[in-house]
Amino acid sequence: MSPIEIGLISVVAIVFLIYSGVYIPVALGMVSFVSIWLMRDNFTLALNLLKIAVGDSAMEYSFATIPLFTFMGLIVSKAGLGRDIYAVMTMRFRKVKGGIGMATVGANAVFAAVTGSSIASASVFTKVSVPQMMAQDYNSRFAVGVVAGSSVLGMIIPPSAMLIIYSFVAEQSVGDMFLAGVIPGILLAIAYVAAIWFMGRFTPNFVGGRVVEDTEWMSAREIASKTLPTLFLITVVLGGIYTGWLTAVEAGAAGALVALIIAFFRRSMTPKAFWNALLETGHITAAILFLITAASIYSRMLGLAGLPNQLEDLLAGSSASFWTVMLLYVLLMLFLGTLLDTASIILIVVPLFLPLVEALDMSLIWFGIITVVGAEIGLLTPPLGISCFVIKSTIDDDRISLKDVFMGALPFAFVMLIVLFILIEFPILSLALI
Amino acid sequence: QEKISAVVIDGYPARALWVREFTDFFIPEVDKRLAETGNYQMEWQENYGGSIVKPRGVLEGIQLGLGDIGIVTTIFHSSKLPSQGIAGSTPFVSSDARAVAKAVDEIAREFPAMNNEFEAQNQVYLATGVVLDTYQIFCSSEVSSVADLEGKKIAGAGLNLRYLEGIKDAAGVRGGLTDFYNMVQTGLVDCAMLWPEAAATFKIAEVAPYMLQADLGAVNTKTVTVNAGYWSGLPDEVKDVLRAVAIDYRNHVASIAMDIAAASKAAYIEAGGTIVEVSAEDRAVWANSMPNIAQEWAETLNANGEQGTEMLSAYLAKLADAGFSGVRDWTAN
Amino acid sequence: MFKSAVAGLSRITNTLAIATNALGTLVVLALVVILNVDVISRGVFSAPLKGTYEMVQFSVVLIVFLQLADVVRVDRLTRSDGFLNVVHARRPLVAANLRRIINAISAIFMGLIAYITFPEFLHMWSTQDYFGVPGLFTLPWWPVKLVISMGTTLSCLIFVLKVIAGKDRSELVRTPEHDES
Ligand code: NA
Ligand code: NA
Repeated sequence: MSPIEIGLISVVAIVFLIYSGVYIPVALGMVSFVSIWLMRDNFTLALNLLKIAVGDSAMEYSFATIPLFTFMGLIVSKAGLGRDIYAVMTMRFRKVKGGIGMATVGANAVFAAVTGSSIASASVFTKVSVPQMMAQDYNSRFAVGVVAGSSVLGMIIPPSAMLIIYSFVAEQSVGDMFLAGVIPGILLAIAYVAAIWFMGRFTPNFVGGRVVEDTEWMSAREIASKTLPTLFLITVVLGGIYTGWLTAVEAGAAGALVALIIAFFRRSMTPKAFWNALLETGHITAAILFLITAASIYSRMLGLAGLPNQLEDLLAGSSASFWTVMLLYVLLMLFLGTLLDTASIILIVVPLFLPLVEALDMSLIWFGIITVVGAEIGLLTPPLGISCFVIKSTIDDDRISLKDVFMGALPFAFVMLIVLFILIEFPILSLALI
Repeated sequence: QEKISAVVIDGYPARALWVREFTDFFIPEVDKRLAETGNYQMEWQENYGGSIVKPRGVLEGIQLGLGDIGIVTTIFHSSKLPSQGIAGSTPFVSSDARAVAKAVDEIAREFPAMNNEFEAQNQVYLATGVVLDTYQIFCSSEVSSVADLEGKKIAGAGLNLRYLEGIKDAAGVRGGLTDFYNMVQTGLVDCAMLWPEAAATFKIAEVAPYMLQADLGAVNTKTVTVNAGYWSGLPDEVKDVLRAVAIDYRNHVASIAMDIAAASKAAYIEAGGTIVEVSAEDRAVWANSMPNIAQEWAETLNANGEQGTEMLSAYLAKLADAGFSGVRDWTAN
Repeated sequence: MFKSAVAGLSRITNTLAIATNALGTLVVLALVVILNVDVISRGVFSAPLKGTYEMVQFSVVLIVFLQLADVVRVDRLTRSDGFLNVVHARRPLVAANLRRIINAISAIFMGLIAYITFPEFLHMWSTQDYFGVPGLFTLPWWPVKLVISMGTTLSCLIFVLKVIAGKDRSELVRTPEHDES
């Protein structure tokens, strides 16, 4: 069997096992193990691959960003920072058609800069934003769709667990990846706001809602108390990284400390909630890093099979154009996005395409942004769309079915796709800040 | 004609100097010499840049047979490969990469220590692959002598942070090569220790325009090794060719490193950098106020049942023969 | 008799999983503390903490493998169980058996890792291999290897018990961490 054949068969086997419900790290690890064993007819070598991958994959300084930013995100969620930003934003957008929708997008974009996961964004904004929109007669599909769509900002605007994972697979600096995510994240937020404006104008029934006249203006003091903590946190984290004062890891630790101090002064956290945040940080970290470890077993297996070399030769011999490769890549991500979570998609497709990207002499940082945005579309698509699941399970309202959430999210997934193509065509959008 | 397959691994990417020269020099040279008799032909599979192992994992990768031949970055493994710290533990002696590479390599052949350490990791030592020319100190503000380093924060990595113990109130800050530019620019540190080639690559002149030419010394950082099981299965002719080419590779890479260093220094000046010469007395003062890390090194090896003290003397004698004597006698207590 | 033995064993593994989980949690806290102390003492007192880099690297591995068993216990290892849930609705028995098979494969995987890393622990223990630069900061390797082999052994046992008990919950998504309490 040629390396290409082994590579293809193993990918098919992995996808089959994952779709049947096997734990993703187990599927990646076991298929790689068996592949090496069969390919080299050497059981010990297969064991050795497990040993070396488990031994040194998790042992990575930059991985400390995962627990640190997760912890920071959990603390700020519990401290009610998302709710506050939302309150300030809605005041600004009240009078526009679809205004609360735009406010939700705006608040999500700001909140995204202090949390590393889309799950946090989805659950926080389902609680604060959906009930308000329903109360103002917005279409329920639109209400949940906005929350689902804007939740993905959490993992595109830094800090982001997905940017960290990519930076590990592609050996790029976490700090650079974070900075690269800023403009694309803002661009996506603007695209969402524009899309809502268009929907309000051309499909008003899909949006729904009535215009509210009784605007209550907050005092400047109130606005400050609701926004300053978040702005301070953003300054510490992104400012620290941007100026080079802090490594991404140190920024995570400093951010966690600042978040704790904010929560403490607002008296918004019980010791029990604090301990739970720590426990959950551990769970999330272990789940992600174990997945990364297993994915590294798989990519090393591909390396041993000689797949990267073969792919490079193949590419040198053919004349695959830039857009052929990129379209293939986006299609594969969309396909995997139907059933896999974002981290798994990144970990499966990046090792396959990295040699191609290097051969085409493209920027690996730009490629990372493409990867993260493309893989995150899957958060919104059925049958497995994590953001939609989170919203459905948080909302606790039988009038809104899971199907409604997916239908509402669909226009936003489409906007993401358009933004994705813009990002592919204009690498400068991802690379300007680095 | 017999075909022999060889999987070559390194965790660094193909564009790294020593990896590129492995592809462009080592492999064609082996092929050429084997073609002279035509008995054997190698089938190379090269896996670099983390496709099988990460930089730190090459030693274990060769040990476990995930690769047949590898370039081990020895500075990651002070615990398993203590004898490889030989040049790093003897600063201020020679800044000539060729001389250091040759001396370290001869020590490896004359004393069993280095071979024993690799043998314990199930591999065979071929040659000392790569030697950096020398660490220098790059500062953001003007420095005219070693005394100006007192009280400063200086970025470095690994063993070279210990050199700073010879400077009053200097604080070593650990950092990766890619972080140094930022660290100096933001004022997180005042100076950074790196070698001229890296300084040119990372445009250090922009943020640290004063280079204190301390000539801390060339350091061996990499070794070419072969998996022991794979080695024992090789025909003698192939073994001989590999051994011979490894030595040529060693000299080849060391001389390229020297050329690059000279070019990098010129580039540094062109980019607006100033090179500040350091007098021999100043270097001696610095060296003499350092702890004797060479003795520490020798004692570690002695404790392992190796001839640490003898290796140290022999190594320094070789360098002295080549015309390089240090400002401090590291063999004296 | 067999059932009560399984239940007893199950209680023991669960308790152990929760205990290592708590330990891992403390490591998270230690990480926050160490890094902030380093940043502050470096910035304010020009005296960076020695060995922060090494400690951070170690703590990441410790967090993962101290928490792994508990992640397995509460069934939060990454998976995509849409298909399983569909089968469960139509043929619950088939789904239950499918889950058994999956848990068995997972037990084998964890077992293989434990099997290959435990000798590594013994080796590191006897050679006292360390990590870092002598004279600056070093940490022994063995605790890391011990935690990896213990974490995977415990995970293997929990999977085995899941195969025997045949009980497994299925939910759309589990995100207790975002409950605002
Ligand atoms: Na974020
Ligand atoms: Na999906």
